[in-house]
Amino acid sequence: MTDSPADKIISLDRFTIGYQKGSALLSQLNLTVNRGEMVALIGRNGTGKSTLLKSMIGLLAPLKGVCMLDGKPFSEYTLPERARRVSFVSSQLTQLPSLTVGELVGLGRMPYTGWMGRLTPEDRVLIQQALEEVQMGSFIERRLECLSDGERQRAMIARAFVQDTPLMVLDEPTAFLDIPNTYELIRLLSRFRDGGRSIVYSTHDLETAMQCADKMWVIHEDKILEGAPEDLGLSGLFNELFSTSGISYDEQTGRFLFSGTQKGSVCLEGDRDEPLIWTRNALERLGYSIEKGADRKINVESSPGGVSWILQKEGGSMRFENLYSLSRFLIQE
Amino acid sequence: MRIRSRSLFIIYFLGLLLIALFLLDIRLGSISITFSDMMGHLLGRSELSDQQLVILTKFRLPRVATALMAGAALPVCGLQMQTLFRNPLAGPYVLGISSGASFGAAVVVLGAGATGIVATWSLAIAAWLGAGTVMLLLLFVSYRIKDVMTILILGIMFSSGLAAIISIMQYFSQASALKSFVIWSMGSLGNVTGAQLTIMVWAILPLLLITLAYSKVLNGLMLGEEYAQTMGIRIQRTRLIIFATTSILAGTITAFCGPIGFIGIAVPHMARFLLNRSDHRVLMPASMLTGMVVMVFSDIVSRLPGTERILPINAVTSLIGIPVVIWLVIMNRKAQSL
Repeated sequence: MTDSPADKIISLDRFTIGYQKGSALLSQLNLTVNRGEMVALIGRNGTGKSTLLKSMIGLLAPLKGVCMLDGKPFSEYTLPERARRVSFVSSQLTQLPSLTVGELVGLGRMPYTGWMGRLTPEDRVLIQQALEEVQMGSFIERRLECLSDGERQRAMIARAFVQDTPLMVLDEPTAFLDIPNTYELIRLLSRFRDGGRSIVYSTHDLETAMQCADKMWVIHEDKILEGAPEDLGLSGLFNELFSTSGISYDEQTGRFLFSGTQKGSVCLEGDRDEPLIWTRNALERLGYSIEKGADRKINVESSPGGVSWILQKEGGSMRFENLYSLSRFLIQE
Repeated sequence: MRIRSRSLFIIYFLGLLLIALFLLDIRLGSISITFSDMMGHLLGRSELSDQQLVILTKFRLPRVATALMAGAALPVCGLQMQTLFRNPLAGPYVLGISSGASFGAAVVVLGAGATGIVATWSLAIAAWLGAGTVMLLLLFVSYRIKDVMTILILGIMFSSGLAAIISIMQYFSQASALKSFVIWSMGSLGNVTGAQLTIMVWAILPLLLITLAYSKVLNGLMLGEEYAQTMGIRIQRTRLIIFATTSILAGTITAFCGPIGFIGIAVPHMARFLLNRSDHRVLMPASMLTGMVVMVFSDIVSRLPGTERILPINAVTSLIGIPVVIWLVIMNRKAQSL
């Protein structure tokens, strides 16, 4: 089954991008974004993620090909028309103006306000709603200088949200965020998607993208592979992608592993699942593989008093009260 | 909203201060003309003497009017440059725009030695061309080089280069032309005659209205040109309008008053500090108002009340503006914001 053309909000046709003719970063791209879909653009640093997003929304001119927005070439829309269809959040914001959060978010209403930019009561309601959407409802009078990185990024996203466009494009929105803030932000974008908007965002964080994106665009060499995260996982792409970087992708668990040196194998036994999973993580981190019947055996004992680990090898057994002391012993061994 | 009422209060306060300074500036001098004298004359209750009337209409009013126009126009140039280049140190003086205008004026005064009505127009046109040329160079460079520091350094280089050429021209010029150029370069609000005043009014007032109408667009530019475009701002047209208005405003003031330093760069910061806001819809009129207050105040100071001497206006504005810029550079280490 294929998507009907009316479902497509963006479709790239033989799109070629780069800064100069003759040295295209990515060429002959044929990609689509459907309505109400969240697309994660994945690629390593310097592979052209920003260039692609900016070329797509007309901030840079493509070298070849067209980007169709709602079935019409992007270049045929005037700037004010574009501003009502696509909003953008940039990765870099080194210098922020001295505005309040409310004023910043209010800028998002620019495509709708008159020549003096006066906000109507309806605009003010939208601004307040957008701030509540990003959990910053009480921040309207705060100044941008006084915000944390995560709050600042959320405020920028609220600005894009009040622009009220069917498509939101975000360039590395999580680049400067810690893990909780990253998840918070991705959850926010998923909520926007559930509200019917289409989202395209770039990131190098494959793991969070795998958990939330409807579709991934993965930059590999000079091509972009398109598909559901699981389709790409199934194709073995991720192992290929990270083959040079000392990271391997475990296709069974969907997790990334540092492929350090292998130290040997361990047989792991125990009666409760949770301690077993964490023990397995610790052993894999140290470079041990888990195999039934290996010489070295670790028994995870759960008792009401807590969990303890018994290491059995030739010449006796040792007991450890936590995973840290077990791993210290294994390293020194 | 608290912020709004504060802005409104400050704007009213500046307005009242401006009226008070205006009346003081008119009153000061060897022949006193008070507010009640003027009101009496206007209402027909009493008459100003012929001498008073001549001084008022030929000297003091044109002088204050010039101060008001320079005070409104130069901060607009500075504010537009600061927002466009996203650099708090941008201004017509720093970027070499005033030097471009000076060069144009130097060509007319030193090179052609023109006088009379021809000189008035040619001075204005030469200053516009000079300012516009520097602006075009900056525009061209800023397309290719995104780094604002580089553009500022280039502006400083342009102005130093032009200053060098002007000094060569001065070296080879006639003594009388040299004297009038040196006096011009010290800056004066009092040399603007009837015809020049007309040109100034026609060149400046419409442009001030245009820049006020562009406040919304300038707000969009605060986040940078990429964001501005995604919010529907036609960036090429906007740049062109900002560059054209800045060249003509700075060029006109420089042509007729000489290079007036530091008003363009310092006043927008004073207004930002007073209002604690960056919204151009308030900041733009507030900068004009603050600029007018500062210029009329500088004019009063330059006339050294109680003496017969007059200081060059350029020296006074510099002494007022420089501490603001120093404060800015030092504060800027903590909070880099516009």
